[in-house]
Parts: sequence; C-alpha cells; structure tokens
Amino acid sequence: MSTFLQACVNGLLMGGFYSLMGMGQNVIFGVMKIVNFCHGEMLMVGMYLTFVLYTFFGIDPYLSVPIVAVVMFLFGALIQHTLITPSLGTKSFTNLLFLTVGLGLLLSNGALVIFGSTYYTINTPYSQTYINLGPVTMALPRLISFGVLVVISSALFAFLKYTTTGKQIRAVSQNPVGAEVVGINVKSIYILTYGIGVALAGVAGSLLTGFYTIFPTAGASFGFRALIVVVVGGLGSIPGAFLAGIFLGLLETMVALFISPSYSDLIVFVTFIVILVVRQTIIARRR
Amino acid sequence: MDKKKAVRDYHRNLAVTAGIILLIFIAIPIFVKSPYILNVFVLVFYMSTLSMAWNLLGGMTGQNSLGHAAYMGLGAYASCLLVVRTGINPWLSAVAGMVAVAVVAGVIFYPCFILRGPYFTLVSIAFGEAIRQFIINSEFFGRASGVGLPYGKDSWIDFRFGSKVPYYYVGLAMMILIYAFMKKIERSKIGYALKTIREDEDAAAAIGINPIKYKIMAVVISAMVAALVGFFYASYIRYIDPELMIQAKSTEAVLPAIVGGAAFVEGPIIGGLIMIPLSEFLRATYSAILPGINMLMYAVVLLVVIRFRPAGILGWYMNSRAKQFVDERILKKPSVEVIEEVEMAGGR
Amino acid sequence: MSDTPIIEVSHITKRFKGLTAVKDVSFTIKRGAITGMIGPNGAGKSTTFNMICGYYPPTEGKIFYDGKDITDKKAYDYTNMKVSRTFQIMKPLKNLSVLDNVVASAWFGHAAAKNERQAREKAMEVLQFTGLYEKRHVLSKDMGTPDQKRLEMARALATSPQLLFLDENMAGLNPAETEEAIKLIRRINESGVTIFLIEHIMQAVVSLCEEVIVLHHGEKIAVGTPDEVMNDPYVMEVYLGVKKEDADA
Repeated sequence: MSTFLQACVNGLLMGGFYSLMGMGQNVIFGVMKIVNFCHGEMLMVGMYLTFVLYTFFGIDPYLSVPIVAVVMFLFGALIQHTLITPSLGTKSFTNLLFLTVGLGLLLSNGALVIFGSTYYTINTPYSQTYINLGPVTMALPRLISFGVLVVISSALFAFLKYTTTGKQIRAVSQNPVGAEVVGINVKSIYILTYGIGVALAGVAGSLLTGFYTIFPTAGASFGFRALIVVVVGGLGSIPGAFLAGIFLGLLETMVALFISPSYSDLIVFVTFIVILVVRQTIIARRR
Repeated sequence: MDKKKAVRDYHRNLAVTAGIILLIFIAIPIFVKSPYILNVFVLVFYMSTLSMAWNLLGGMTGQNSLGHAAYMGLGAYASCLLVVRTGINPWLSAVAGMVAVAVVAGVIFYPCFILRGPYFTLVSIAFGEAIRQFIINSEFFGRASGVGLPYGKDSWIDFRFGSKVPYYYVGLAMMILIYAFMKKIERSKIGYALKTIREDEDAAAAIGINPIKYKIMAVVISAMVAALVGFFYASYIRYIDPELMIQAKSTEAVLPAIVGGAAFVEGPIIGGLIMIPLSEFLRATYSAILPGINMLMYAVVLLVVIRFRPAGILGWYMNSRAKQFVDERILKKPSVEVIEEVEMAGGR
Repeated sequence: MSDTPIIEVSHITKRFKGLTAVKDVSFTIKRGAITGMIGPNGAGKSTTFNMICGYYPPTEGKIFYDGKDITDKKAYDYTNMKVSRTFQIMKPLKNLSVLDNVVASAWFGHAAAKNERQAREKAMEVLQFTGLYEKRHVLSKDMGTPDQKRLEMARALATSPQLLFLDENMAGLNPAETEEAIKLIRRINESGVTIFLIEHIMQAVVSLCEEVIVLHHGEKIAVGTPDEVMNDPYVMEVYLGVKKEDADA
C-alpha cells in the first residue's frame, strides 16, 4: 500500500511538469495551429540557463525562475519574429513543421557543442532534504517545484481568462481573420503567444534542475509528453492540460509499479495512439 | 520537320547529360580508393533513398511522417533476424522484410489514416517510438543490445564484403532504381491522386479519389522502400540495434528532401549530395573537439533554406538564371509549347 | 428511363447537434435541364447541396439517382456514377499548373484515362472548351477569381459527368464575367450535361434555369419556372421583405 501511495505521489509530482509543458504547447498550437517540435529543447535551454546562473553567479535555482522566464520569453519572441512569422506567410505546413524541428536540432546540438555531453546536476543545500508524510517520502525540491508550477498554471489560466490580452489571445486562436478585423494586432499576439509558450517550457526546465540531470537531449521525452498532454487534454483547455499531465504522470508510475519500468514508455505511446485515433474517429463520425 | 528535330535533340541532350553524370558516379571507385570517402558516398546513396521514401509521403502526399526510421529499422530487423535465425539468403530476406513492413504499415497503421495534418505527424512519432520500445523489451529482437550479422568470406550470394566498393555500386543502383520508380509514380494515376490529396482532400474526393485508399498506398510504398534501405544498411554495417530507430534518425531522413526541395522527386538526391558530405566532413574534422557541430550545421542550413528558399535548392534553381542558361545553352530545350505540340502529335 | 427524373430528393432532413438546417425537403431534377436552387443566406442551400453530393449524409430521407438509392454513397463514388461537382469556396490544386489540375481529374471517373497520353488529351479538350487553354501553364494559385471559377468547372468536366452540380459558380464575378460564365454553363448543358446549380445572382438563374426551387429557413417554399417563382407572393416577401399587398399598394 505504501509503495502504491508513494508511486501516486511521484506520478503526481512528475505529472505537474508534463502539465506545465503541455500548457505552453497548447497555447502555441491553439493560436497558430502549428506544433512546436522544439518545445522539449526549450525546456533543456531553461535547464542550462539555470545551471549557468547557479554555477557562475551563485543564484539559487528557484530564484532564477523569474530570470529564466523573462529571458526565455524574449528568446521565444525573437524566434517568432524572425523565423516563424515570415514562414507562416508561405502557408506551407511542411516548412513550418520542419522549422521547429530544425530549431530543436539547433538547440540540442548547440548545447552539445557548448557544454559537451557531460551530465550536470545542481546540488543545493536542500537538494537532499526529504519530507515524510505518513508512509510517503518526498524530496523537498520536487515538492517546491510542484507548488511553484501549480501557482504558474493558475496564473496562466487567470491571465487567459480575465485580462484583455488574454482575451485577445483567445480571440486570435478562434478566428485570426475576425480578430484582425476587430483591430487586434495578430502579429504581436503571435509573438506574445510563442514567448509565453517558450517561457513556460523554460520555467519547467528551471524547476526540474533541482532533481534532474542536465544534458543536451534532456528535453526530448518532455517535449513529446507535452504533445500528448495537448492532444489528450483538449485543444485550448488549460484545466484539460493540467489534468492530462497529471494523468500521464500517474499512468507512467503505475505501469512502472505494476508491470515493469521498462514498459512505461511503450504503454504511454500506445495509449496515446489509441486515444488519438478513437477521438478523431468519433469526431469524423459525428460529421 | 524542325520542331520535331528540336525536341528530339533536346531529349538526346538530356539523355547524354544523364549518361555523363552516371558515368562519373560509376567511375568514382576506380579513382577513389579511400574507404572513408567511399563510405560517404554509400551514406549519400542510402540516405537519399530513404529521403525519397519519405518524400513520396511528405512531399507528394503532404503527410509529414516523423517515424521513417522505424520503418527502416523494422526492415533491417526483419531481414537480419531471418538471416540469423533461419539462415535464408539475405536477398530473399530483403523481400521478406519489405513485405513484413508493408503489412505493419498497412494493417497496424490503418486506423491512423483518419488523422490529418499535425495529428498524422504526432501519431507517426508515437508509432515509431512504440515500435522501438517494443523491440527494446523483446527478447526475440535481441533487446537493447541488437543483432549482428555473421562475418565471413566476400560473397555476392551472402551480400557480404570487406571492401566498400560493392556496397557503393549496390547503393548507387538502389538509389537510381528507386528514383526511376518514384519518377514513374509521379506521372501516373497514383501520383496525380497523391498530389491532389496533398492540395485538398475534399477536392480529391470530389473528382473520385478515395483519400484513405491512396494514402494507404503511399504509406505502404514508402515504408517498403524504407525497409529496403534498412536491409541495405544492415548488410553494410552488419550490426543493428534499436538506436537505429530513434527520433533523430527519422529527422535525418527528412532533411535531404527539405533542403533539396520536397516538391521534386530529385529533391532528396540533390539535398543528400550536398548535405551528407558536408556533415561527414564536419564530423570527421571537428567531432573530437566539438561534438554535435555537424548536426548544428545541418540545423542552420535547414533553417536558412526554410526561411529564405522555402522551395528548397531545386525550387530556387527552377526559377534561376542558372536553369535558363542550362536549358538554353547546354540542353537546347525548345519552348514548352513546342514540346507539347510534338508530343501530342505523337512524334517522339 | 428518360421519364424518371435524374435526381429525386425525398423528404431529406439534416440536423447539426439539434439545429435543423434542412427540414423535410423534396424535389426532383429533370434530365437534360438546368435546375436552380435559390434562397436567402442560411436557407439551407449549401447543406442540401452537400447532402446530394455525398459530402455528408442526410439525417433522414433518401436521395435517388436514376431511380437508384444513393443516400449513403461516399463523395468519391460520385464521378464513377457520372456525377461531378464544384465548390463554392474554390479548391484549385494551388501548386499545380492549370493543365495538371485538369489532368488529375481526367485520371478519374467512369471514363478515366488509361494512360498519361489519354489524360492529357482529355484535359486539353476540356481546357479548350472552357477557354482556359491559353493559361494552361500558369500555376492555379496565380490566377484570378474568374479563372479559378472556370477551373473548378473544367476539373469537374474532365471526369465526363452527365450530371453537374455547380455551387455558386458566379459569386464574386462582375457583370461581364457573369455573362461569360452563363454562356459557358449553357454550352455545357447543350453538350448533354444535366445541371443543378445554387446561385445568388438572379440574372443568371432567370436566364439559365428551366425550373427553380426556393428554400427558406431550411424548407422548400416554392418551385416552378423562374417567372412563376419570382411572382410568388411568399417568395417576394422573403426576398424583398414586403408583402404582396404592400407592394401593390
């Protein structure tokens, strides 16, 4: 029983990251209808950024979260402005797809060139601190990270729902032409959206560093899981993304617990295919 | 008649040019003895072929797969395991591997054809990863440690050589055959159906094309060619493991097509001929000091091409002065109207 | 055979998630004629049209073609039954030349080309018929609206239909272009093709159609010759917003 509870808690804590990643991907996909295939690499960049801030400037990983968020936002905005927006004009889905794939290659291999393939970790005074809650043990960094990402998710939800800018983003995601007609600057919304999406991935990376190794392809598995979260949680739905992320985290740990850890990836991918196919089939039938 | 002769001359010039290019490729191993350089060429041949397989689906049908490494890997595994476990002839195992992969692509993948656009891409990634994870967990497939092919005397029957030269010629032949095959498809009923589906599925259905049927055809053909490349790869490297199917390999399969120009059957070959030697040169020269530099360069070229030459190198060439020069001075190409007139009159 | 209408629509209804777009509509399309369907925006014209073309099935009711039930036929079965359609929002194969657009169609349908040569010959013939021959090497995305509308018809014709559905083929054309389009449609009809069209432009409907069906709020409110329909008091009310008595007064 205690191993089960422990697995639940671990799944929940990990699922939080998938949620955060999924929300970033969801905002981008929802607004521009493109899949950001370098989302995982953005997380990786966030990790290295946190690592550099810690190693060279002694900034605590959690204190660097706001810095990473701002830097990553600007980075995303720059990419959107210089690369993605011009390519949106060509209306070639293939090119847009491989633009983000190419960015992913650039970032992961850039990290490999700069930092080498060494695995880095950040050891803070509290990284080996554990908290016992009844039968369940939790590493303090994981717990703090989870808390922070719940706050960020709620803030994002409130931002999209209640602020004028948030409403503009939702308007563009529903109908870009209509939004343009009523005077919304669609191009700046695109820049804002991609910046927010990338910042969320970077923050997730930053929060991960407390207990996860840093290496050039660290983001890959998170990147794909973010896509699963978007598809399972539903397009444009922040609460859906949150729940889907938690579901995915729990699914992984349950498979690892009851079947075998080495099967968890296989089951995750198969589940994803089944959910995607069943859902699209139902949608097609309804028409 | 003048026009007829002009068109005949043009076709002759085309054939002569193609023949000269072919002769150069045939002659290379006679003058180049370095195994390192021959290896780069072999790489160009099979990667371009894999990219052509992708391009049938991506460039011609508009279905962007990011799981082609899985088809190639499955083909490699199927033929390797058959050779190792049953001892059948490798050439037969290649055919068996292609059939096996066709079945997997057509049957297991069948429900996924309902997915359009980005969803198709996502499911292709998940499908590829699922296959790789399955192999890692399967005793029969040799788990993560992979499968090796037996070494032995050089033999055409066993498709096994110490030298790279035979692989060079087989690889070249494979690339040319697949190119001719793709060219044939492009101008056939299937090709027009696939291009129509790429442009608009509703418009395709309206003229009598069953989109699902033709998409299955495209996936099956594409997967079979990828499986053939897998067989070639396994026979050449003589060892395979699940790393062959990682996501990055699927991406590598796409890059020559995008850089060369995905709208053209020739795109993957042009892209492969330019990118792979460059990448290998960088890898050989700098990988000790700067690992990843070759892929970094690859990524930069890809981004530059997409940003500034979205139709790829060939797309840029098609509207360039260079093409004008080649057409007018070297090939002596008559106007489109003249060629059309002569062809329609049946005087080829 | 020739007595049976080419299309018989029998009591079709279409509901989208509780919203009834088309309600119990029945009509026939006469063989060899040009039949039109008119109605204000949101009257259910396009929905009716899409059901007859197999784009989606009706919720209730049946559709017969040459007396055979085709209600559940898929959109891609139609050209094999000698029926072809165009789209209101044009769907040219953007990155292909005009010629290749039409060649693609010539490969399919009941009289599908057997080889490339046949497909090209058929395409050339259709291009000459529709007046696009001179522009055959232009990329279809580089053409203006009138030519793209023409291309829609050319692609439909290349499948050799005996029945052609035209979905607002003159929307967005100026009067001179409309006149050209009317001539083309008449020529198609004279070559033996039955035509059913949806149109907003009254001038076109009046000059072309033998029979007109009027839809309003998803229901059929009138049917008859253009003259009869135009003078129907209810149709006038719907179209002009005036009651017949008011107009007379």
